[in-house]
Amino acid sequence: MNITITIYSENKPGVLYRIANLFLRRKVNIESLTVSEIKSEDRSRFTIVVKEDLSLVAKIAKQLERIIEVSSVEIHTDNELIFKDAALIKISKNPKVVKKLDSIISLLKASIAYQNDKYIIIEKLGTEEDIDLLVSTLEPFVKETVKSGRIALPKNGQ
Amino acid sequence: MKLSGGRILMESLLENQTDLIFGYPGGAIMPIYDALYDYKDKLKHVLVRHEQGAAHAAEGYARLSGKVGVCFATSGPGATNLVTGIADAMMDSVPLVCITGQVYANLLGTDAFQETDMIGVTTPITKWNYQITKPDEVAETIAKAFYIARTGRPGPVLIDITKNAQIEKADFKYPQKISIPSFKLPGKPNDNLVKQAAKLINNAQKPFLIAGHGVIISKAFNQLKTLAQKADIPVASTLLGLSAIPSSHPLSMGILGMHGKYSTNVLTNQADVIIAVGMRFDDRVTGRLSEYAKQAKIIHIDIDASEINKNTIANVAINADAKSALEALIPKISKNEHTSWLSEFNRLDQIEFEKVTTKELTPQNNKIKMAQVVNMLSDKTKGRAVVVADVGQHQMVTARYFKFQKNNSFLTSGGAGTMGYALPAAIGAKMAQPQTEVIAIIGDGSFQMTIQELATIAQEGIAIKIIILNNKFLGMVRQWQDLFFDKRYSFVDLKNPDFVAVAKGFYIYGEKVTSYSDLEKAIERLLKAKKSYLLEVEVEKETNVFPMVPAGASVEEVRLE
Ligand SMILES: Cc1ncc(C[n+]2csc(CCOP(=O)(O)OP(=O)(O)O)c2C)c(N)n1
Repeated sequence: MNITITIYSENKPGVLYRIANLFLRRKVNIESLTVSEIKSEDRSRFTIVVKEDLSLVAKIAKQLERIIEVSSVEIHTDNELIFKDAALIKISKNPKVVKKLDSIISLLKASIAYQNDKYIIIEKLGTEEDIDLLVSTLEPFVKETVKSGRIALPKNGQ
Repeated sequence: MKLSGGRILMESLLENQTDLIFGYPGGAIMPIYDALYDYKDKLKHVLVRHEQGAAHAAEGYARLSGKVGVCFATSGPGATNLVTGIADAMMDSVPLVCITGQVYANLLGTDAFQETDMIGVTTPITKWNYQITKPDEVAETIAKAFYIARTGRPGPVLIDITKNAQIEKADFKYPQKISIPSFKLPGKPNDNLVKQAAKLINNAQKPFLIAGHGVIISKAFNQLKTLAQKADIPVASTLLGLSAIPSSHPLSMGILGMHGKYSTNVLTNQADVIIAVGMRFDDRVTGRLSEYAKQAKIIHIDIDASEINKNTIANVAINADAKSALEALIPKISKNEHTSWLSEFNRLDQIEFEKVTTKELTPQNNKIKMAQVVNMLSDKTKGRAVVVADVGQHQMVTARYFKFQKNNSFLTSGGAGTMGYALPAAIGAKMAQPQTEVIAIIGDGSFQMTIQELATIAQEGIAIKIIILNNKFLGMVRQWQDLFFDKRYSFVDLKNPDFVAVAKGFYIYGEKVTSYSDLEKAIERLLKAKKSYLLEVEVEKETNVFPMVPAGASVEEVRLE
């Protein structure tokens, strides 16, 4: 099961190292990781996705809270969250795809971030499945795809 | 006023009531030692003979003084030599501040001479660590280090200070307030949970208290006793919980776990309510987890939220320090009696007595058994000495046979099981309580791990009583090979040096006994000695420690032979 762990910490160097260390000790693979600054509070937010048992993740969450710089940890299953990944997809500017591009983009809720005479870079915000669908629709013109880690917010207050 | 980083460190240590440092100098920490030279009269420094000894001595000092233990080491090998002691302190929740020197800040990351990434090395084994590269960080970081080491569940903190930060000057102003916005202070015991716990205890037919190290750390001795007496509840102790309640107390049932008592292990799986105070359900306590106390409702009191539901699921979990939780609980507990439940303990103790204890204590053919030494020592000291045990069979025998009468009078390496702990830890213990008799009980194998600290003892002129229980084996490993590896004794026998001669070489008087008839007098001479004294006791080579819950077995499968 996908579990999203959100960690709030002081914005200090080395916190990621301490967090990663704990996952290493428990031999849990991190599927995705996003770190961002909460500027107004001088704090950081880590959003980590793992595929593990909820009970194990709950234990890890409590151990994460032992890290001095970590102020709180939340864990959520997918149905409790609105979550998105971002992707940039570079395709070749082939007439075959250019012809259909407007309709694909509007149907799959993407947009053009940049283009030149050889390439088009498309941006897409969505779930992993949404992004996969877009990429497969654009095959075989896709040259390169880059995806971000997950960003997520709980639907309700905690 | 501007002071060098080294001097700021000294001033900051004094602000934290530090009066004793265990350490070992070297290139990258020389400016700190140079500053220390001017603070000699306020900050005593003990020169150990290996940095591991510094960490263990600081542990012993911390555990008996109630202060934070402090040690110094240089960068690279000096710092890595501290690692075993730091890991040990992490496992056993001992507050330490370890200061390591580091190469100049401009050389960091270049593989400079004696550069080791100590932040990287110690992140998993410290409660917190930090590298200082500028002198103006020293005061605030040291303030934080002490606060973190001693607040909540105690633990070791490592502060790595680059050489330039020791030399360069900055304004010294010790922070009046420490700000760690993310620091999670343990809360007060939750009223509702305390009520639920009280209800479980009041309705219990077979309640069972387990005292862990947390009881000792929070000095909840009276509270533990009061709760036990009020509701008439038997109390067992983990290895590090020993001496939380006097062994002679009628409700004290002794140690539980792998080499615990027969009664405490068997009855763990018959209790209806277990009140676990300041302990963490370590695998050496629980045996096979899937068969541990399944019938019981578990009340778990622990200051560390991450310990709750880590190994066992608690029915009621109170996340607070042991003393405040017990204080909240006691008024809600009704007076009670559990006579027949208590008699179960006595019945099983009797079985253990017949099958194990009498055999171990009754002298045969003039050979000496470990149990006889510890038992005699316990009687002669009336259980009032501080005992420091190393790791192995002699440790378990000490835990089983010494009748601790004084609170917090047993030091040993519990969570890590670090051979070599006892001799340096005894140094720290003696320096924390110079008036107390401190006795180190050490196996012949363990002794050779930190034997060089005999020189530290001699140099400091302190009086530590050392008993070497010499079975010429790595006894505990031999026992496992005997029981679980078809007696294939693989690299466990020891050709030992003449320990008495070795001690003499270190200017410590010693003697050796080999026959039971000489034992009593020898122990009397040891205890009477005004100076350090080493007594080597040649004990039976192949005695196994029982009872034993074999690794991976259920507690009720505890073996008596
Ligand atoms: C540093 C370290 N190395 C290895 C071990 C594994 N070990 C546990 S007990 C033991 C034997 C201890 O021998 P000794 O000190 O002679 O004590 P005895 O068991 O004979 O009483 C060993 C090797 C350990 N606990 N610590």
